Amino acid sequence: MQTKPIALKVLDIASVLLLAVATYLALFYAPTEAVMGQVQRVFYFHVPAAWVGLLGFIAAAVAGIVYLVTHDQKWDIIEMAAVEISLVFFFIAIVLGSIWARPIWNTWWTWDPRLTTAAITELIYIAYFMLRAGIEDPDRRARFGAVYTLVGAVSAPITFMVIRLFRTIHPVVIAGGDPNAQGTFAMTGGMQVAFFFGLFTFTVIFIDLFWNRIRLGNLAAKVEQLKLNITN
Amino acid sequence: MASKTLITDNKVKNASFSKAIAAVVWKDLSAEFRSRELFSAMLVFSLLVILIFNFALELDIKTRQSVTAGVLWVTFAFAGTLGLNRSMAVEKDRGCLDGLLLAPVDRAAIYFGKAISNLVFMLIVEAIVLPVYSFLYATNLFQPGLLLVILLGSVGYVAVGTLLASMAVQTRTRDVLLPILLFPVVIPVLIASVKASGGFLSGADFITEIMPWINLLLVYDVIFTAIAFMTFDYVVEE
Amino acid sequence: MFFQDTTPDTSSYMILGYAVFFIATTIYLISFFVRSRNLRQDMSMLESMKPESKVMESKATAGKMTAGKPAKAKTSKPKASASKTKKKK
Repeated sequence: MQTKPIALKVLDIASVLLLAVATYLALFYAPTEAVMGQVQRVFYFHVPAAWVGLLGFIAAAVAGIVYLVTHDQKWDIIEMAAVEISLVFFFIAIVLGSIWARPIWNTWWTWDPRLTTAAITELIYIAYFMLRAGIEDPDRRARFGAVYTLVGAVSAPITFMVIRLFRTIHPVVIAGGDPNAQGTFAMTGGMQVAFFFGLFTFTVIFIDLFWNRIRLGNLAAKVEQLKLNITN
Repeated sequence: MASKTLITDNKVKNASFSKAIAAVVWKDLSAEFRSRELFSAMLVFSLLVILIFNFALELDIKTRQSVTAGVLWVTFAFAGTLGLNRSMAVEKDRGCLDGLLLAPVDRAAIYFGKAISNLVFMLIVEAIVLPVYSFLYATNLFQPGLLLVILLGSVGYVAVGTLLASMAVQTRTRDVLLPILLFPVVIPVLIASVKASGGFLSGADFITEIMPWINLLLVYDVIFTAIAFMTFDYVVEE
Repeated sequence: MFFQDTTPDTSSYMILGYAVFFIATTIYLISFFVRSRNLRQDMSMLESMKPESKVMESKATAGKMTAGKPAKAKTSKPKASASKTKKKK
């Protein structure tokens, strides 16, 4: 396998440094929110994590469609990398969202439309990997993966709209809290710096992880091809 | 002269497309009519599910009203999975799928044929479950609004289900995989169907409380039928 | 919601949140290293097996289309896998 390109090595280091700065900004630089206290700082990583999940989601959908059109295996590798990263980061976003909700609304899960849709998308991703795991032939695996990614990618936004409609027509009362509260708060200057820097950092992290994961996927494809050649 | 042949060409193509669909549907329905395996399995299963719900949930008169829609749709979703699995597994096991694929028909015709026969099975089961439920719980379920929702919901469910079942049946894990693939993706149908059904049953205001759900069902049905028949090719090619 | 003058102390939740983030990310990164190392080991093992199966392999790839890239298959070369290597960016 080729050695890592210099650009990627630089990106790796940049990601780590940016993450360190983002953490500092989130934990120390940003002022403490008056109503929620320190737990609000979780927000500075919760939203960017969801953002990365969303980036991966879109990348996967695009890659899936392109694969179906071109039948070029490289798009299958890109698609799988995107799904995996999105899976990890939506998971982080959901858990962080849950942790944020607990002290504020006295419940671990609020059935918020965005988080619920993220959770359902997680289930779609898990199903995706289970589908791929059950297929031996790489070509069929890629085709099925792409079709399911497309189905999932169209279904998730519809699910979001449905849940939001559900909540508008039948507002859910959350135990111990104001049912209409969305956890909003006014972002002051310091908070905005931490927030937008976090968003930027996580975007860089996404590109870094995506590139690395694609290289890993290429290596895996090569190994699999070798195995198939030898066992034939 | 050239345009005339083009028109007749299209007519012939369209004729053979719908003929192909009809052939697939007829094959499935007549096979099922003779053996009735699939159908009896789905029916018995649905009745058992309703029975279980009776003991699992306290279905006294008040709760029943709020919970009927949910119970019905959970029953349909599970019975539907059974039907989809069996329908595709039979194709694979008896080698019918390969035979169909060898025939010079548009793949989409095979998809529509399978989807329609799956839909027919599901509707027949639903047509039996409704009176049984009405009988057991003294609720009149035969309202046109409810029937419309059941139709729209079943169409959406079967549209995606047929595509996913075609994939699932070609994997190692087969039957087990279909619910895992299907349920997360079909949630909008289930939510919208339950809300709309519940709305009709409780006499809610149509425009504000039921229409949005029906619109959603229509949108979902159209979008996913389109996606399914466009990608079906990729799922069955060898 | 909170009818009090002082800000509640929710720092334990904050710590929990950040811990979750860093632990999850670290585990994910470790998985990269582990998978990469495993694949490289597989690769070197398979390549050492290659000289024995060189003949078989060239026969196999001559008649076989590689997944998704039929146009690019260089069937004349025995080392078909090496020929598919793309310079990564």
